[in-house]
Amino acid sequence: MANEKSNLEGLRKACEAYVKKKGALAFGLANIETLERTAPEGSRPSDMLPKVKSVISIGVGGGTRGSWSADAKTLAYIGDTETMAYRIAYGLAFYIEAKFGYRAIFVPPDMDPEKGARVPMQSLKLHAEVAGIGARSMAGDILLHPEYGMMYYASVFTEMKMPPDQPMADNPCPHPSCVQLYRKSGQTPCMRFCPVECLSGSIGDDDQVEEMHYDAHACAEMSQQYEAIPSILLDTLDAKDPIERGMALHGPENQVIWYKLSVGAGELLSLCYECMRVCPITQTAPMANPVARGAGMRQKIVEAEAAARTEHAIEQDSHKEN
Amino acid sequence: MAYGVTQQMIDTFGEIVFKLSLNKQIRRGDPVRKLDFSAIEATREESGLTDKEIAERIGLLPEQVSVVRVFTERKHHKIDQHRRLYHLGGGKRWKKEAYRSPAERLQFREDAMMIRKAIKFLPELAARYIEKGYWINETLNGHLINYAHITPDALAIIHPEGELSYKHLKDSVDELTNGLMKIGLTKGDVVAVQLPNTLEFIISYFAITAFGGVMQTIHMPYRDADIKFLLTHSKARAVICLPAFKDFNTAKVMLSLKEKSDTLDHIITIGEVSPKGTKAFESLKITGTPKIDNPPVGSDPFLLLYTSGTTSNPKGVPLTYQNMIGNARLSVPEFHMTPADRNISAAPFSHLYGLYNFHVALCAGAANILLPVFTPPDLAKTIEKTKATTVFLGPPHAASMINAGLLDNHDFSSVRFSMFSGSTCPPSILKTYRDKISNHSDGTRIGQLWGMTETAGATFCRDDGPKDLALKSAGPAAPGNEIRIVSAENDEVISANTEGELQVRGSSVFPGYLNNSEANADAFTVDGWFKTGDIAIIDEFGNLTITGRTKDVISRGGVKFNPADIEDLIVSHPNVEQAAIVPMPDPILGEKACCFITLIDNMTMTLEDLCNLLDSKKIAKNKWPERLVIIDEMPLTPTRKIIKSKLIEKL
Ligand code: SF4
Ligand code: SF4
Repeated sequence: MANEKSNLEGLRKACEAYVKKKGALAFGLANIETLERTAPEGSRPSDMLPKVKSVISIGVGGGTRGSWSADAKTLAYIGDTETMAYRIAYGLAFYIEAKFGYRAIFVPPDMDPEKGARVPMQSLKLHAEVAGIGARSMAGDILLHPEYGMMYYASVFTEMKMPPDQPMADNPCPHPSCVQLYRKSGQTPCMRFCPVECLSGSIGDDDQVEEMHYDAHACAEMSQQYEAIPSILLDTLDAKDPIERGMALHGPENQVIWYKLSVGAGELLSLCYECMRVCPITQTAPMANPVARGAGMRQKIVEAEAAARTEHAIEQDSHKEN
Repeated sequence: MAYGVTQQMIDTFGEIVFKLSLNKQIRRGDPVRKLDFSAIEATREESGLTDKEIAERIGLLPEQVSVVRVFTERKHHKIDQHRRLYHLGGGKRWKKEAYRSPAERLQFREDAMMIRKAIKFLPELAARYIEKGYWINETLNGHLINYAHITPDALAIIHPEGELSYKHLKDSVDELTNGLMKIGLTKGDVVAVQLPNTLEFIISYFAITAFGGVMQTIHMPYRDADIKFLLTHSKARAVICLPAFKDFNTAKVMLSLKEKSDTLDHIITIGEVSPKGTKAFESLKITGTPKIDNPPVGSDPFLLLYTSGTTSNPKGVPLTYQNMIGNARLSVPEFHMTPADRNISAAPFSHLYGLYNFHVALCAGAANILLPVFTPPDLAKTIEKTKATTVFLGPPHAASMINAGLLDNHDFSSVRFSMFSGSTCPPSILKTYRDKISNHSDGTRIGQLWGMTETAGATFCRDDGPKDLALKSAGPAAPGNEIRIVSAENDEVISANTEGELQVRGSSVFPGYLNNSEANADAFTVDGWFKTGDIAIIDEFGNLTITGRTKDVISRGGVKFNPADIEDLIVSHPNVEQAAIVPMPDPILGEKACCFITLIDNMTMTLEDLCNLLDSKKIAKNKWPERLVIIDEMPLTPTRKIIKSKLIEKL
């Protein structure tokens, strides 16, 4: 039994070492029973990979320090690092199959139009939360981590069994300074500086979030221009004159969308992140600063690799003994 | 309809579907992190449902929910929200009150677009004017703001009641701008002004154009019928006028026009108190710097002047800043105008000429002297009192001062140049004026300027031309403009010193008449030359001399009008068979109208009868014939058109 446990731990450590070496900040395993119970029908891990045994969630850091200091428009274009998370997760799926011989898939991060508005095929957020590498914040449930601040997440499902983690014991949001501001003004920084005022809510006497209201449609209107494409096409059809019609298709902002579509650059605006620009957790989390993080990361990788080597050695030894 | 969904279903269920979907999310507490499964279940609906879950909840098919949802999302979707983000540059944080979307800021009412649609320049000419610097991004108020900033205490306006520095003028303009914006006027709106050359005119002009409005001028002698046509054609939203002028109850007429108009919303009358139904000019003023979200720019139209033209109705001439202010700015160095100058215009500001020279002085940062209503003694006295350095006038103004002996008993020593324009310029008047004024001011010069509403200041004399040139010529083309003479027969360009039809092309030339495709069709050549309809000669040095007109307009004291509509009215009289109005020379006004008629058998007609008829038809007095000639037979062409030249010969 002990061997099996340490064997499973060893697999986990190897996976963690792999993703961290590739640049991930956080690694966690979500409890599969919790997910099956919590996710809506059709969006459960087993709906996607029937024999799934483990749900791996990884987090990569948000934008560079510079991106938070850039103007808002630039941040909206460069702030997201999601493709980096996807690349690492994709690599991890191959790594698991090649190294350990278990089936694995990179979980598509896409929306499922068949299921409804903004309904993802799988909730990467739920995976990360249950895996204990992020907790829901007042800012539209963007996950925050006390050490890494805001991260981008990606998931891997595998038929390889590994021991799951627990959700985080504490939620870093709201930050004490946000509670203070809320008590004074009735708003937290993220609520106050959201350009479309899509956030509202309350903080209870226990200084925890009591209610969080998020107008996801308004948030998406702000930055997810691809949502505008059907509107643009309808506006084109409805246009009263050739100038209006031309502007609907060729207006400078709209042209950007065609450009991005035609070159296949997946980097459409994701979120505007003004809420995160003013979030004390995102801005001051010790490992959110890539400079500090760089130094810490190397150390963590060394540690993770050493641990993986140790586990591997133990595993080899146990095989020998058998 | 997809999956049996009707518009009624979308209307009925749209909002609840939108609310139940993940478009709106509520979280109470932290149930997932705490693995509180009963709380997760209890709040599932609030945290957003899939279409399938919504379908079960409200009794539709999931596919129907998706149709209802996407149509409702489309209804809610605003596509320009990301602009809020673009507005947050350089570390700025979101502040609701600091942001207005471009759609809110840049409002153009449908009527305001009417004038913009009339503005069409040839692209190759526009490119040339921009490259050469004739057209820059300048506005009327831009120059005011500039001088209010760099020379705030310099004199901007000298008027009968006092003086105004550039800073004070700017403050006064700000007050009225605030007031006009407060009553809902926005960029592109036409505001008509029927005022003499008063301080109120100037403040109105700046204030109307400060927020991007377009000023339409109405000449002071105009009465009901003319005003009705002008305000209807321009779709003016407001009028600024005197409560009454001489025997004309301006406010009453304007109010009755407002009653019947779909577009005219405000009648503003000068003074502290206003006739019932109008707004008092003074009461509109609000102190403070106006917040203008949609400011005017160089290519915007800002003036709408009307020419009497050759058709019976006046033609609307929209002018852009680049046309008019560019024309004035480029003229400043040619006139050696400096901030030290004090400029006076004898011409009314309702005419292009009056505005042109106001603009020239403004562009130079000089002072403009206001002469509210021209009388020969007032002009002479004002020049003397204010020590005017530059005088823009017409030959009738000069002739009347000469005839009254005013040039002999007033001090004109401050005048360094006088510019003549506005009607034919008899060399004898110009010479007498020059000789008399030289007695006071040795080096003083005179010049001639030729322009039309359509061309602005197209040509004018320069200081370095031959001394007597100004007596017979309006000089070479203004910077940015070209002139040429073409043969009336074959449209070919004619060599120097040969009479032909004058054409003008250039940065000050208007972009086309407002809503007048008939006139526009024949106004320009394909390569952008404006056909002036005047007969002229250009000498080998490029100096222009107007020798006649192809058109029948009568220019009474510089105010041109087409007599066609008056002729029609006269012919409507039961005693009259045919009528033709021709210009007759006048030593003071240049021209007056003379009416030739033939009578129905045994009938009679006097000049008094004729004037009574026109009075009853509310025709402006300046258009009334001042001589009546009864003839037995009209000279007619084979196609029975009256040959006016034969009538003129009889005078
Ligand atoms: S991403 Fe932008 S729009 Fe969305 S909640 Fe944050 S601040 Fe508001
Ligand atoms: S600013 Fe950050 S920490 Fe503060 S309430 Fe918002 S999300 Fe939470």
